[in-house]
Amino acid sequence: MSRMRVHKLFRKTRFFFFALFGLIVISVSVLSITTVSRELSDEYESNSRSIAQNIADSSVDILLNRNLATLQSLIDQFVQIESIRYIYITSETGEFLAHTFVPGIPDEILASDASSTATVERSLPGLGDFIEVGAPILSGVAGTVHVGMDLELLGLKIQRAIGAQMALFGIIFVIGSLLTFWFVNLASQPLADLLAFAVRMAGGESSTGDEPVLSRDDEAGELARLFVHVNRRAAGADREP
Amino acid sequence: MKNADGTRARGHRPNGTVPALTRRSLIRSGFASLLAAPWASSLGASMVPVAGVSAARGRNASRPPQDDEIVLGVSAAFSGPSRGLGTELYRGSMAYFNQLNENGGVNGRRIVMKLLDDGYQPDPCVANTIELMQDENVFLLFNYVGTPTVTRALPVLKTFRDQQVFLFFPFTGAEPQREPPYGEFAFNLRASYRQETAGLVDNFVRIGRRRIAVFYQNDAYGRSGWAGVREALARHGETIAGEATYTRGTQFTASMRGQVEILLERSPDAVICIGAYAACGAFARDAVDLGLHIPVANASFVGSENMLQLLQEGRSDPNSHTRWLVNSQVVPSYEDTSLPAVREYREMMAVHDPPPPDNVARITEGEPYETFPQSFVSLEGFVNAKLITEIIRRMGDDPQRSGIEEAVFAVRNYDLGVGERVSFGPERRQGLQRVYYTVVEGDRFVPLEDWEAKFS
Repeated sequence: MSRMRVHKLFRKTRFFFFALFGLIVISVSVLSITTVSRELSDEYESNSRSIAQNIADSSVDILLNRNLATLQSLIDQFVQIESIRYIYITSETGEFLAHTFVPGIPDEILASDASSTATVERSLPGLGDFIEVGAPILSGVAGTVHVGMDLELLGLKIQRAIGAQMALFGIIFVIGSLLTFWFVNLASQPLADLLAFAVRMAGGESSTGDEPVLSRDDEAGELARLFVHVNRRAAGADREP
Repeated sequence: MKNADGTRARGHRPNGTVPALTRRSLIRSGFASLLAAPWASSLGASMVPVAGVSAARGRNASRPPQDDEIVLGVSAAFSGPSRGLGTELYRGSMAYFNQLNENGGVNGRRIVMKLLDDGYQPDPCVANTIELMQDENVFLLFNYVGTPTVTRALPVLKTFRDQQVFLFFPFTGAEPQREPPYGEFAFNLRASYRQETAGLVDNFVRIGRRRIAVFYQNDAYGRSGWAGVREALARHGETIAGEATYTRGTQFTASMRGQVEILLERSPDAVICIGAYAACGAFARDAVDLGLHIPVANASFVGSENMLQLLQEGRSDPNSHTRWLVNSQVVPSYEDTSLPAVREYREMMAVHDPPPPDNVARITEGEPYETFPQSFVSLEGFVNAKLITEIIRRMGDDPQRSGIEEAVFAVRNYDLGVGERVSFGPERRQGLQRVYYTVVEGDRFVPLEDWEAKFS
């Protein structure tokens, strides 16, 4: 018996499945992107603020002892942290006491308010884009610590985190789609067998009685047996005078 | 580089193997993570018995101190762009110790240096210091090179203070080893950067050059010199006219145009450089090339002969880039043979001509280090060795670490032969105070007699 496929009946089912799945993927992705981006940014800033505060707390005695070499040594150790791109410490009068800039302190930073501890975004020519946080030393009377974080590195980290999630979603989507096709085909197979049987009946062939569809105990089997019964009654009616 | 007598200085090629730094001490001390650092593989160690150089070559470094030896632990730059400093300092000390040991040592004991290379990097220096104190059980630490390295090693001394291991005569004029909280763990011989920079500033101001800029290595060393210039200028009612920085480890081949341009915008009357010879040489070169024709001063740490070699080598006019140089020194000129210590130094350097330690040649394979017959750095190493020998001599036949401080404090008005007497005490942990100024004449640095005539 030739196999037939049922296409039209499950078209809407497939469409709704893909639409629903796509909607889930897109909404989860958007939610994930914003969450990851926000949380990484917050963590980034929080860590940097902690570092700035840590340096500020450690600097008090060093500054009071006028030991700027030790102060420089201190910030040199912190600037080795991957995300920290620059650190500078200003006195209460705004003088730059220690910093990590090479070949010099950028004009934008020289022109900024040295006592401000507000979080600001900076774009420094030749260096890149940064978020800068500040922390006061001894409530600001001994100076201020400023820590600059690399925004490009933050962006890269966010991209990596989101990229990993999107790759996972993609894999789930492909596997889900394949499974859906397989399942729909499996579910529609009895109907396809019934359709093929009905087409044969309609073409004038008579049932041999051992077609597989006739032995099924589901609705497709019942309909096939009904077709045979109707076909036989119609044939009997044709033979009456 | 030509020798003082006009001949070429000798280069030294690799010869012999040197065992690697042991990992055991690092792991035990919680520094296992340091092993992953790039520098770890380049570390070398060698125990150098100073009685004879040939005996030192290829000898296994890790052996316990002998009863007839006093072991001095050294962590210094024997590789990288500042290797000339560690090497020349070592050679000067070796010349003295070789002579001493050939004549029976001090109180019957030979003085031996246990060398570890830190490449002028802080983390290796910390690991080396722990190894020297914990594994090698050295009598004292000696001839360390550099501020960023010493600054990080000082807390190690404080951590193991019960062992009473002191750091003697580091090749740095920074303040951390002269002031609390770590000053009590070190003894200095040379004048401080504060004294060097104050002298430079005072002389520049005296000849009317009041707008002084600073070019410095962006680390603890550079900051120490920067702070010295700032303080000295403040005494004259001035502030730093401009500043530019470079990263530690910068080579002579690097461009310093950016730094020179920054300073050109500030129109200074003079620049004081606080850096190592490779970077300061590059700055002096680019300053002249870009038209910054003002005095360029360097602190003693620069390593004058190494810098001069870089600036003159291969040039049709060897003095084209040295006209404006003025270098401060913390030892007198090695040409001043009126001084007994200088005569001794020249004689012993000529007799022994110590080669660089084995691990230098091994690490810088293909680039043999070219030694100098005399240099300010090796003269400093020589007087360091002379004074530490005197201190050990005063400790008698059975020297103990617990007696070191007392022996140092007993040094009063001691004549080292450098034209300045040395004294130590609880409140005086620096032996020499004098600063000398030199300029280039021909192929060497000579004393600067008249600032006005030279730079006005």
